[in-house]
Amino acid sequence: MEVSMDPLFLAWSYCRRRKFQQCADICTKILQDGPYDQAAWSLKTRALTEIVYIDEVEVDEEGIAEMLLDENSIAQVGQPLLPMTQSGRPITGFVRPSTQSGRPGTMEQAIKTPRTASTAHLTWPSIPKNLIYQGNKILSLQTLFEYIFHHENDIKNALDLAAQATEHAQFKDWWWKVQLGKCYYRLGLYREAEKQFRSALNHQEVVDTYLYLAKVYQRLDQPITALNLFKQGLDHFPGEVTLLTGIARIHEEMNNITSATEYYKDVLKQDNTHVEAIACIGSNHFYTDQPEIALRFYRRLLQMGVYNCQLYNNLGLCCFYAQQYDMTLSSFERALSLVTNDEEQADVWYNIGHVAVGIGDVTLAYQCFKLALAFNNDHAEAYNNLAVLELRKGRVEQSKAFLQTAASLAPHMYEPHFNLSILSEKIGDLQSSYIAAQKSEDAFPEHVDTQQLLKQLREHFAAL
Amino acid sequence: MPEVKSIFREVLPKQGQLSMEDVPTMVLCKPKLLPLKSVTLEKLEKMQTEAQEAIRQQEVSLKEQG
Repeated sequence: MEVSMDPLFLAWSYCRRRKFQQCADICTKILQDGPYDQAAWSLKTRALTEIVYIDEVEVDEEGIAEMLLDENSIAQVGQPLLPMTQSGRPITGFVRPSTQSGRPGTMEQAIKTPRTASTAHLTWPSIPKNLIYQGNKILSLQTLFEYIFHHENDIKNALDLAAQATEHAQFKDWWWKVQLGKCYYRLGLYREAEKQFRSALNHQEVVDTYLYLAKVYQRLDQPITALNLFKQGLDHFPGEVTLLTGIARIHEEMNNITSATEYYKDVLKQDNTHVEAIACIGSNHFYTDQPEIALRFYRRLLQMGVYNCQLYNNLGLCCFYAQQYDMTLSSFERALSLVTNDEEQADVWYNIGHVAVGIGDVTLAYQCFKLALAFNNDHAEAYNNLAVLELRKGRVEQSKAFLQTAASLAPHMYEPHFNLSILSEKIGDLQSSYIAAQKSEDAFPEHVDTQQLLKQLREHFAAL
Repeated sequence: MPEVKSIFREVLPKQGQLSMEDVPTMVLCKPKLLPLKSVTLEKLEKMQTEAQEAIRQQEVSLKEQG
């Protein structure tokens, strides 16, 4: 006779091994036999929550409204020496949901809609008014709250529950205050959220609360307040990695890359496997003309087991500029074999184009930039570089067309404007040249060549 | 191998003026390091592709039924 394991025990074991789908499936079977099994209800709720659980600190819902009519975000100061994202933010070594750009619609959808189309929702009767008593019978309130918040994504009801629970606890339970704050934040009521988090901190010092509160201040465009808060948090939790990372990110977002790097180094002193810190320091070294040092950081990531397209692309670039030619092409080949979407593919080809320019193979470079455009038709940098190659071949009109496309795709980049200015000056169209040079100056005020060109043109006009 | 004497000899002018014209040239955009993705972002993207896949399969099965 076959002895089978107790199904609830098996489900629990699956849960501990983070096989949540199997866990939920077994619980469903148990509940079909006995719908009042409290343990099975609780376990299934937890499993379903875990499947879609994402760290609330990391997620920052930026709706299309915020992206387009950005009144709260930290002011962007151009640093044209770094490549920018499509929206003009500096590219750093790491990307998180809130710093992601270019596709606000899809990310928003991912967060707003109930998380998965496939998971069967718990058949919970429409949430009753007196959740407290109902909840106590079957589930712990915390479990119920997390389910409503994360799985159902029903913030309004989650808020109701949290409000009742905090009242029930006579406003003395910090956990519920934090949950209330999270709900208010999601609903865009930042001042209410701030109140709850502050009050929670009065009851109990918790790192997460500091992180949530700092997020509120960043949303309210008060980076300095957020910085002070992080420092206050560090007094209570010295050397806490998440707080240090928070400080570094704010510096980075304000384009203060040097201080950001200092803080990332502090992060690495505490946790020498921190991917974000390693990647950001690496990219900073690369763009300050130290590719051989950047290479060491990216190699470290490789040793740690990071294995993706981005890392191999970066290794390829670092190898090339650090003159380790034997590794360059194989890294890019590996990167190409690991791409997951067309944008990545375009970027890798774009970088291979740079290698081709570096070794003087203009034909290959031309093909690479063309390929980049084939995969991503909005690749402004590829248009700009193609224009440069076209002009070398003497095709002025084609070059001009590419530059105009690049300038309209990415008006925050100075290169297309500057190139257009030079080109127009060469063919005698001084007016256009002057206009383009002014745009280039707006994008990159310290650019010496632009200044020289402007001076030259002004002298010209004065002589007329 | 006998040493080949070059017919050209380098010239290092000891007098006269050396002038150089600084002509602005077109600039290339910088190469692009790709940022690594955070764990949260990767999970979000994975959930999204899974959801899209599920919707696509639902549509396919609906078409087959209809």
